[in-house]
Amino acid sequence: MKRLPWFAAAAWILLAGCGRAPSEGNSATADDAKSDTNTLTKVSLMLNWYPEAEHGGYYAALVHGYFEESGLDVKIIPGGPNAPVVQQAARGAVDFGVTNADRIVLARAQDAKIKALLAPLANSPRCLLVHADSGIEKFEQLQNVTMMLSREHAWAQFLIKKLPLDGVRIVPNSASLAPFLADPRAAKQGYIISEPFVAKKEGADVRSLLVADFGFNPYTSVLMTSDETISQRPELARKMIEASRRGWEKYLADPAATNQRIHELNPEMSLEILDFGVQAIKEYCIEPEFQPDNFGRMTIERWSTLVSQLEELEMLDPGAVAPASLFLAE
Amino acid sequence: MKSVREIAPVVLPPIALFLLVVLAWQLVFLFGHIESYLLPSPLAVARAAWKKRTELYGALTLTAASALCGFAASLIVGTLIAIAFTFSRIIKASCYPYAVFLQTVPIVAIAPLIVVWCDYGFQSVALIAFIISLFPIITNATTGLTNVDRDLVDLFELHNANRRQVLFKLRLPSAVPYLVTGARISSGMAVIGAIVGEFFTGYGATRFGLGYLIMQATDRMTTDELFAAVMVSTALGMAVFTVVNIMGATVLSRWYHA
Repeated sequence: MKRLPWFAAAAWILLAGCGRAPSEGNSATADDAKSDTNTLTKVSLMLNWYPEAEHGGYYAALVHGYFEESGLDVKIIPGGPNAPVVQQAARGAVDFGVTNADRIVLARAQDAKIKALLAPLANSPRCLLVHADSGIEKFEQLQNVTMMLSREHAWAQFLIKKLPLDGVRIVPNSASLAPFLADPRAAKQGYIISEPFVAKKEGADVRSLLVADFGFNPYTSVLMTSDETISQRPELARKMIEASRRGWEKYLADPAATNQRIHELNPEMSLEILDFGVQAIKEYCIEPEFQPDNFGRMTIERWSTLVSQLEELEMLDPGAVAPASLFLAE
Repeated sequence: MKSVREIAPVVLPPIALFLLVVLAWQLVFLFGHIESYLLPSPLAVARAAWKKRTELYGALTLTAASALCGFAASLIVGTLIAIAFTFSRIIKASCYPYAVFLQTVPIVAIAPLIVVWCDYGFQSVALIAFIISLFPIITNATTGLTNVDRDLVDLFELHNANRRQVLFKLRLPSAVPYLVTGARISSGMAVIGAIVGEFFTGYGATRFGLGYLIMQATDRMTTDELFAAVMVSTALGMAVFTVVNIMGATVLSRWYHA
């Protein structure tokens, strides 16, 4: 047999290297065969932020072995500011991702074919912190304040459109709480599951105004994947939903072991703040009528409301996205 | 005045290359599908620019104003610092390393502090543009002011010229070409500085610059709007650069013909 030219061999190796890493466990190598995980399907899950309480259920599924029991070997990839979760999931660079519902709508409008699978936080933890002695108890009273927020985000656009904003100065949000604490007439964006705790620890008496109460309430910490995964590997998607659902139930009931793991992965999150986070998720973000079998299930009404809100904010062309295309109906 | 025959060989090749690249880029979209969250087509970018023209124009004027203020301040302050360096070897020896510090400081780390010192708004954006564009002026002006023909200095001293006369009649005129080079480098950096500044400070509740439009398009994954905003930003940088070049050429021709 004629020998393959060396460059052809090199090109073949390169091409093989560039291809998508096989996610299904059908590429068992000698190394894999030695371990117990060779029968498990390798799956990657990318988060939208550093590990924290809002990802608790997914880590619980990992810590308590629910992913493994469903035949999955899940690798959780932490995110951060501007982590391109939806893009990576749409391209298939990761199998699953965690993001918020409004980003799924916006991504879908840009041809990124992704769908929501599970919405553990049915109500958004997004809030605006104000000082307790500012006298501000609802959004309509936000006058003559400095609002520190990422105004490019959909929820911020919603507030800007709906509020009179008399004498309100809008400045970019900063990672630090210090500018907010220094200004008694300041309002700052946050998540009700963490910022109020940090502010209190700094000695500030704050009040949190939930944006969800004001009418903008996208599903949060949503598990999502590409349309391709849903159509080509429906069983994988189903297993992922099932294991994640179990993880969330466990996390809400008994978060200790999971919080310990999150704290190890992200030492900035102390055990106290994680514990505060779980309690806040239970209090503000979970629908009380949810039962274990329908936990995280989404409705077309909620997605339709979100789509029409984004259309109203002119962040979305009318009719660009069909609400039914945004999530997997069970 | 230059004739068309002189200008054409300079202007036509880059325009031709630009059109070729855009054409090839559009052809890729004609024959294949690329999802718009990954890359927009040139047509989509043009459409987005047209659709957002009022916002882009408003943002452009604000960003341009901040960048030009910062740039003008860096020209004045940078030249003054360079003059101080030529007057005293001790000042130069002790201060120059800190001028280098300006060049190497990660501006994204300092920007939040600047907001704390100078409050949110135009002045902070202009200050960040100033800090970023200052160093090339200092270093080029210093080189120009000190790299003077030794014989000419001797000649001035022979005629009992004082330091002021040497500065204004000899050193400054011979530093002009260096200053123009420094200004060319700084012009683009001032625009980048203004956009980075806008990421951190903004202009209040209703106004915004190109930096905000870039963040907004990034957040919405609207790559067509992102490219449109980036192209307006680069056009601004090129416009400032061109004006500096024309002014530099005018000043230089007068200097060399004199």
